[in-house]
Order: sequence, then C-alpha cells, then structure tokens
Amino acid sequence: MRTGAAAGHTGYYHEAILYDSDEHLLAVVLPFLLGGVEAGEPTLVGFGERNAELVRRALPAHSGVTFLPGGNVYARPTSAIRSYRKLLAEHVAEGAPQVRIVGELPTSAFGATWDWWARYESAINHAYDDFPLWSICAYNTRVAPEPVLADVARTHPRVAGPDGSHVPIGVYTEARSYLSEPRPMLLDPVQRTAPLVELTDPTPAQARAAVYAADRGQLPADDVEDLVVAVSETVTNALRHGLPPTRMRLWAGADRIVVAVSDGGDGPKDPFAGLLPATSASAGGLGMWISHQSCNHVALHRGPDAFTVRLTAGNPHFPV
Amino acid sequence: MTSHAAPPPAYGHLCWVYDDPAALDSRAVAFLGAGLAAGERVWLAAAGTHAALARRLDGLPGLGNALRRGAARIVSVDDAYRIDEIVDPEIQVRAYAAATEDALAAGYTGFRVVAEATSLVRTPAQRDAFARYEHLIDRYMRTRPMSAICAYDRRELAGPAIAELACMHADSNADVLFHLHAAAPGDGAFALAGELDPSVHRLFAAALDRVDPRPVDGRLLIDGNRLRFIDHGSLIELDEHARRRGATAVLRTSRSAAARLAELLDLPDVRVEVTR
Repeated sequence: MRTGAAAGHTGYYHEAILYDSDEHLLAVVLPFLLGGVEAGEPTLVGFGERNAELVRRALPAHSGVTFLPGGNVYARPTSAIRSYRKLLAEHVAEGAPQVRIVGELPTSAFGATWDWWARYESAINHAYDDFPLWSICAYNTRVAPEPVLADVARTHPRVAGPDGSHVPIGVYTEARSYLSEPRPMLLDPVQRTAPLVELTDPTPAQARAAVYAADRGQLPADDVEDLVVAVSETVTNALRHGLPPTRMRLWAGADRIVVAVSDGGDGPKDPFAGLLPATSASAGGLGMWISHQSCNHVALHRGPDAFTVRLTAGNPHFPV
Repeated sequence: MTSHAAPPPAYGHLCWVYDDPAALDSRAVAFLGAGLAAGERVWLAAAGTHAALARRLDGLPGLGNALRRGAARIVSVDDAYRIDEIVDPEIQVRAYAAATEDALAAGYTGFRVVAEATSLVRTPAQRDAFARYEHLIDRYMRTRPMSAICAYDRRELAGPAIAELACMHADSNADVLFHLHAAAPGDGAFALAGELDPSVHRLFAAALDRVDPRPVDGRLLIDGNRLRFIDHGSLIELDEHARRRGATAVLRTSRSAAARLAELLDLPDVRVEVTR
C-alpha cells in the first residue's frame, strides 16, 4: 500500500517544490520524509551539500532517512536515469511498496546545459513510471531563472505546497509532446570562431581521427576518448539513419572541445532518444544513449534543413 | 602501389596487397634475400611455371646457388592445387610446419616464404577456408621460426575479399580497419589491433568465427594492446561470441573508454581490463 499524497496512484508521482525560503522548503520536505519513514518506505534525499545539511539538522537524530552521496548523480541526465532506475529496482525487489525521494539539481544545471536537464525532467515521467516512486524536485525560485521555472512547470504534473497541498500544474505537458517540440540550441561562444575541422560525409574512422588530431592536451585523456566514442556513434547514426550530407565541425576552446554533427534528416523519431536506451538497436538509439553518457553536454536541434547533435567534452558551462 | 608497407610485426606474418607485380617481386627479393642472409631456407610459392617464377626472383643475389643447394625453392601452386580447390586449413598448416621443421633439421636457422595465394581465394568458400588457415599458420608462426608474406593481387580480388584475408594478419598494407591475429604465447587466445566500428561488424564476426578461439579456464583472453578503438556493437559481438562458447571474454586494452562502454552496456560475458 502506498501512503501519503501518492496513495492509490500507480507508477510515478512526480512533484516540484517551488520554494523561496528555507522555511518553505522544510515545510514541504520534513513531513514528506518523516511520513515515508513512518510508513516503512525507503526515504531518500538527493540534495547538494547546503540543503542536505539544512534537512539533516531539522530531522530528529537517527531519523531513518537516507542521504544519497552528493557528487555525480546529477552530472549527466542519462546517467542519473540509469542509476535511479537501478536503485528503484533494488528497492522494489526488496518489497518496498513505495520509494520516496526528494532531490535538487546543482545550480550549474540552470545555464548552458539546462536544455538536457529540462528533457530529463520531462523524460522521467515516463522513465520512472514503472516504479511506485513519489519524488519531489526542489527548485529555488530566487535562484532558478525564469525560463528554467517555465520548463519546470511544464515537466512536473504537480507542485507540493508548504500547506500540505499537492496542486496539479495546468501547463504540465505530457513527455512525448514536450520532448517532440523544437528546442533552440544556445550557441557556444567557440562556435562563433572558425571550426578547426570541417568534414563532409566523413567515415566514422575519419571523424575519430579528427578528434584525436584536435586534442591539444587541454582535456584529460579519458575525456578525449569518451568524446571519440560519442563522435563515432553520432557520425554513424547520421550516415545510417539521417539524410545526406553529414557534416562534422569541431571547435577547440581552452577548456573544451565541441563537435557538431548534422545531417539533412529530421533526427530520431523516438522522443526519449539519448535519455533512454532504444528498444531496437536498428534505430541507432543505443549510440545516442551512449553519447549522452560520454559527454558533459549533448544538445539536439531540429532546424529547417538539418538535424544537429552538438557534443561537448570538458567544461560545457559557457555564460548564457 | 597505392599503399605503403606496414611496419614489420615482431613476428613475420604480413599481408601484402599489390597491383603491380614488379613491386611484389622486389618486395619478395628483399624479404627472401634477408632470409638467406640470416641462414634461413626460403620459398616462393605462386601460380605459374617454375621458370617464370624463378625469373621473378632475378634480382636475388646467389639465387641459382641457393636453388641448387636447397636453400631456396620455387613452388608452383599450379602443381599442388586444382583450380577452385578449397584448401584444408589443417593440412596446409601441417605442410608448412613440416617444411619449417625440415629446414631446421637440415641446419637452417628458420624458414620463410612468399606465398602468392590469389588463385586459392577466388570464391567465398575458398576464402572462408583460407582465412581460417591464415589464422592457424599465424599461431604457428608465433611459436616457431617461420615467417611469411602472403600476397594478394588487387586487380583480381575485390576490396571486401581482400579485407577478409588481410584482417587475419598482424599487419598488412591493405586498407583494413582492424587486424585479428595470434597473440604471443601466454598473452591470450588472440590479439586485436586497429579500430572496430560498424563498418567492419560483419568482417569482425566472420573473423571471430574463423579463429574459433578456445577458452582457457572459462576465459577468452584477448590482447588488445594495439587496439585503438572498439564500438559498442563490437563489444556486443564479443559478448555473444563468448557466451556461445560458455566463456567470459576478457579484453586487455589501454583504451579506458572500452571499459566504460562495457560497464554501460552491462554485458554479462565481457570484461575489459585497462592496462596502462
């Protein structure tokens, strides 16, 4: 039996907290956590250091709440989905009737890489729906920019209030629709410079060689290797599933290498491409999924003439 | 010639693709001449009459003397094989092993051969058997003092046919993305070099089947020291191949991305060990 606001709900019960003070945050989070522990449900906190400490201090000693180790869970959306799905499967296998998680993204996610986190927030409505999960995503309205909050509203079915309310959000948009909408791609400033490499219809081997040749030692060797994997997969997908011409352009900055691969097609039909592994390998979805876990940012853009995948190794957080 | 020679491997089993017979002849003269100078017995095996084949080695100093005393020999494959005959890989390897042991017994330091094998690989069935033979003789050469250049005529064989054979050598001058060859004794069931990506998935699967490596203690150890890239599809192929043999494939490579990829794919029968 599920308890709390999600009692009687099947699948994923996804909420946002839009808070503007510590008191507001705690007023939602504490009853959520204590209710979970009281019901014997696995109850987890995936907060950054500051808010984790705030909650820890506010909870009674030995509360039974589990604090997820900070760090890399929210480094890449696809990796987050993968590790959360594994965690949820383990709890369900142990007989948990419901799992409660409250989490927050690092503020660095609200800048140049927000597009893939917005896709994450939308996709998890589907990706976690086969689990009895009740999760709340906390957003500080004094920190998150307006466009981020607009996406939060469209990707969370409800908002949890400090008065114990759980109010449906009118603009919430079902994941398949939201993810199929055209999204603008913010131009990385290095893209304003002449590309270091520009190839038309390269073989994957030529594309890989171009990345190795562009490596000036500005990135750790492992990051370059992972970028090579992503570029190889992306060029392969463009050649196999896209329409000609396939173009690869590469820019190198002091702290990053950026590669854009475009083709004349419409891009993958699967709205979850990149975030979830494709069920059919022939659709190229596995390569897209791997690329999303091999780079620090992947942006997708459907233009009038081309579908573009932009891959960033190194620091993706340019000022926006 | 459109390609350059690959650097000679530590043990000598090179695939040499040519479209100018004169370039092959000068390569053969240099290779066999070095063998004679090192006290080895040398053979040229190719299609054609003895006289015509001997002429191809005209530039080899002391050829006449070497032929007379048995240090050099011309073998016409026309005498040994019917047209379209499918070589039996095991018999072929035994023949070359016997030639090597004979040479050693006669006091030579080793045995080397230039084999022009185009006439033996014209049909898919011939190539299937010959590619298997190439791997078996590769294994033999890893342990005994035999070396070889296997030459194929690009004017007579299509690119994909040449790739099937070239990929079974440690090195070649052919335009082939990867090589699957015998590992040094103790280093594994086989070795991988170069790059594995979707453009060679079928070739890789066929090469694996032709090599048919034997697991040891439930493990198929693969020396990936010279492997520069492996994509997810090739890792999945390795996983499936290992599973069919009831083994775990253990790929040793310096490429850490391969280890992260295997972890992402959660492949039950592949383990990547990063060596640095």
